[in-house]
Amino acid sequence: MASFDAGGLATAPGPIDRQTGNVRFLGQDAPYWRILVRGAVLLMVTLGIYRFWLITDTRRFLWANTEIDGESLEYSGTALEILLGFLVAIALLVPLYIVFFLGALGVGTAGPMTGIAVVALAIIGQYAVWRARSYRLTRTVFRGLHFHQTGSGLHYAVCVLFWWAMMALTLGLAYPFAQASLERFKLGHTHYGDLPGRFEGSAVQLLLRGLPLWFVIVAPTLIALSALLAVDWAQIGQIMRAGRSTSDILGRIGAQAPEFYGAIGLFVVALGFAVVAAIVLFPAFQTIVMRWWVSGIRFADISATSQLRMFDVYKAYLRFLGYLFLFALAMLIVAFVTFAMIGIVFGTSDQSKFAEMFTILAMVGLYVVSALGLSTIYQATAKLWVWRLTAQSAVLSDVSLLHRVKGAGEPGSPLGEGLADALNVGGL
Amino acid sequence: MSLGAGTARYFDGRTSARHEVRLELAPHALVILDRDGAIIDQWSYVRLKHLSAPDHIFRVGLRKNPVLARLEITDMQLAHEIDLLAPDIDRTGASARKIRRRAIGWAALAAATMVLSAIYGVPLLADRLAPVVPRGFEQRIGVATNAQIRGMLDKGPPGRPFECGEAAVEQAGRAAFQKLVRQLEATSNLRMPLTVSVVRRPEANAFALPGGYVYVFQGLIDKAENVDELAAVIAHELGHVAHRDGMRAVLQGAGLSFLFGMMLGDFVGGGAVVLAARTILESAYSRNVENAADRFGVRVMLALGADARALGRFLQRISGDTPGGFTILLDHPTARERAAAINAMAPPQSRGVALLDPYEWAALKRICAGYRT
Repeated sequence: MASFDAGGLATAPGPIDRQTGNVRFLGQDAPYWRILVRGAVLLMVTLGIYRFWLITDTRRFLWANTEIDGESLEYSGTALEILLGFLVAIALLVPLYIVFFLGALGVGTAGPMTGIAVVALAIIGQYAVWRARSYRLTRTVFRGLHFHQTGSGLHYAVCVLFWWAMMALTLGLAYPFAQASLERFKLGHTHYGDLPGRFEGSAVQLLLRGLPLWFVIVAPTLIALSALLAVDWAQIGQIMRAGRSTSDILGRIGAQAPEFYGAIGLFVVALGFAVVAAIVLFPAFQTIVMRWWVSGIRFADISATSQLRMFDVYKAYLRFLGYLFLFALAMLIVAFVTFAMIGIVFGTSDQSKFAEMFTILAMVGLYVVSALGLSTIYQATAKLWVWRLTAQSAVLSDVSLLHRVKGAGEPGSPLGEGLADALNVGGL
Repeated sequence: MSLGAGTARYFDGRTSARHEVRLELAPHALVILDRDGAIIDQWSYVRLKHLSAPDHIFRVGLRKNPVLARLEITDMQLAHEIDLLAPDIDRTGASARKIRRRAIGWAALAAATMVLSAIYGVPLLADRLAPVVPRGFEQRIGVATNAQIRGMLDKGPPGRPFECGEAAVEQAGRAAFQKLVRQLEATSNLRMPLTVSVVRRPEANAFALPGGYVYVFQGLIDKAENVDELAAVIAHELGHVAHRDGMRAVLQGAGLSFLFGMMLGDFVGGGAVVLAARTILESAYSRNVENAADRFGVRVMLALGADARALGRFLQRISGDTPGGFTILLDHPTARERAAAINAMAPPQSRGVALLDPYEWAALKRICAGYRT
């Protein structure tokens, strides 16, 4: 009974070999679909209260099936924990909510109170995002140790607000610098046991990679806006007031301000181009950011590199579009049948309250089913696939360091997650 | 005595080192042995807990363990034997499903409670609270709301006063209007300063805001065929002021947005449900409130000796041209229903008291005549 195959309690440290490790994702599509579809139905039945269980299920699935150097992650959080965190968060937010409500009434909603409230809520929201991240990290177990996060949530929230302002001022050009700075902050305060994390992605590199996309989207948007600015709005306003009918107004504009039509045409074409470009280029953008982000992650001497391929991400999104098309078709048929049934049962001339009630219920129901269906399809196709592709394409250096980590850090409180949920800023 | 044995991966929860260990199933505990046969730890079966893992791994931990020590077993026969011995482990998920079903049941119950409190609790609370809110506070809300509403309604060209009655040709009309309002106010016992304005809007409409602000649209005066019709509408609006319905609406709106906005969270599509629920509920609250204001208006008109049935007639005439829609989305009951209720309260009158003389009424009809609309 005393012969054992391999290993041993005192794993031989050996010389540090510069060995690389892979990340794998083992999860299949079908079980994830099951979790999401069941979750969507129960969200409807419980008016959304089921979300605590759904988010826990999806995390368990994603974590458990993500394998780093042969060992899978484990999500150890529970739905009850987040539910309690949410209830505590509500209890804390109620007084604040009442203060804002009374303040808004007293001063008038257009007053400075709104500004203060928006900034305060944004800060609390980002603080909650930080605390929720802390919760997720401490509930992420790998090789018998959990991750943890240090650092101040308020500091993080102020940084986020600052970068939001910078991004708005620079029409998005500051995005790479914001990402780099915030990721440095986040990963710099992330630890796996006693292994400190950091982020080494370069903002300039991301900027150079993303610049072509930025031009393709922002340049036409600027053209569209300048087309509007070029119009003499005072003159158009005068014509509108003087005109007697729509055709009269249109005729006058054609005679007195012919450049108006050109400007509007340019606006529509340029803005349309920008919107289409933004949609078409989104997977490319996501690939660039993901590759840059994964390649910037460091834990002590362990570094990650990503070989995520843009082509694969586009395939994931095309799959999403395919499913979406089928779903839209199915919803159209269901909607048609539903309203036809209501028409047959109640007749068209009948003004009865039941017919109205059923019509409104059917409309709300169809809308909710469509929205939940859309989100389910997105998560089960594009999101799962991008997660899988990102994991599969990552390579870690010096993984032998992972075998010698000591445990550290206290488990985080679920309050942050609950607060994030109450403020609708929760993430995966 | 051993009930079974096998190998596993073990993480002690203190370091990330992976240990290949041997497991022995003793009667009361899972014994973890290193390769030399020395005992590393013993895990009591009652404290074993099944942890989330990929399908090919059976992962267990120990309840109330200060560290996150884990055992990972890929030998499914061994996993099955441990499952049989440990009361809290069920790999089929039957007990987890049972707990989950109970949670879903509670969640559904909570959802039902929330819907019921939205339908019955919120209006009840608003009804109880509205009368005890200090009048000074309501007036402050009124000032804020009034400024906002006025800004939203005033779509006229710059330079044209929004309110009627300022220009020279409008002065006589304003005097007549004020005389009419004074008579109605004196009968109403409002206990709130009243500000009634006629404004340049083409719609046949009138409404009251918190804090005693009442707006009468030019379109309504244009459509009124006699002074009693106009007076009845104003009396109805004074009913809203007296019942503090503006305050009640503010409280109800706050209650509903708290219930649906914060408690339900924003699951996808939830926004639409919240909006639909709010619209339908607020319309339902509002229909009751309108009936109460109608009754108030009738009492005021009867007290003045004027024609109380004018309101029903006027409503039916001006609502004739509104397009049909969903009646459960209407915030007012249908004109026909209201007229029937009003007629049931007010006896028919052959010859009422004149609130204004014909000259005053003619002047009032021209209260907005100073500017082209």
